[in-house]
Amino acid sequence: MEDEVRTIRLQLPSRLGYERVAMDAAGAAAKLVGFHRGRVEDLRTAVAEACVNAMEHAHRFNAAMTVVVALTIEDDSLQIDVVDQGEGMPEVVETPDLARKLAGEQEARGWGMFLIKSLMDEVRFNVRSELGNVTRMIIRLEPEDIAPGGATAASRAAASLG
Amino acid sequence: METRAKTRAQVRTLGGVAVIEVDGDLTPEAREEVEAAHRRITTAGVRKVIISFRPDAYINSGGIAIIINIAIAGTRAGQTIRLVQPSEHFQKIFTMVGLRQYVEIFSSEADALAGF
Repeated sequence: MEDEVRTIRLQLPSRLGYERVAMDAAGAAAKLVGFHRGRVEDLRTAVAEACVNAMEHAHRFNAAMTVVVALTIEDDSLQIDVVDQGEGMPEVVETPDLARKLAGEQEARGWGMFLIKSLMDEVRFNVRSELGNVTRMIIRLEPEDIAPGGATAASRAAASLG
Repeated sequence: METRAKTRAQVRTLGGVAVIEVDGDLTPEAREEVEAAHRRITTAGVRKVIISFRPDAYINSGGIAIIINIAIAGTRAGQTIRLVQPSEHFQKIFTMVGLRQYVEIFSSEADALAGF
């Protein structure tokens, strides 16, 4: 993909449902890189959660406020920045605990950040950029992640990984 | 996104088992529909419950919270709850959040019904 535009940007209104646009775009980009179906699904879930977090917690579902999603495609990885106009995540977030939720000691909700961190290879919250507050997610193409008969980029990545 | 199909939750009974068939995505927008279906069978005194999802259903963290709410209510009512989740991805997600410790997860309704 030398000399090509590698970053795709989307602008989404802060309204539930539009996170699916970002999910589908991220999934398509992941297929281009060569990720197999399972990793594509991981990415789709993580992107959806990050977008919903931005819409709900940063923008309070104000549809006039846009969430920017930037997908940067590399030969062996994909970086996804989800940008909002909020103040960022709290420094300390309670780890979800299903036993405590079932006991009524924690809200049933609150899985979004857990899923993002569990499904992505690298996650950084509260990255500051000129566009706003960024949740940055990176998914890397490891040999076991490559789709059967995967894309050209995947083949190159596999070769370089030996 | 108003054009999206609304999620429906229909209840079938097979012997002493109630099957809540979730036709659509499991997100916070589906909460009332799905929880209302569960309340109906709980009120009817059903103790064995299967919640069945479509293979292509989108489930987000808000949807997981719905399952947790049903598990809480079901436990209080003395129910055994089994999930039918054909998607390997969402089976993995359910495992990650720990749901397998509290509900059994099957790939098909026939498997969930077997020995229930």
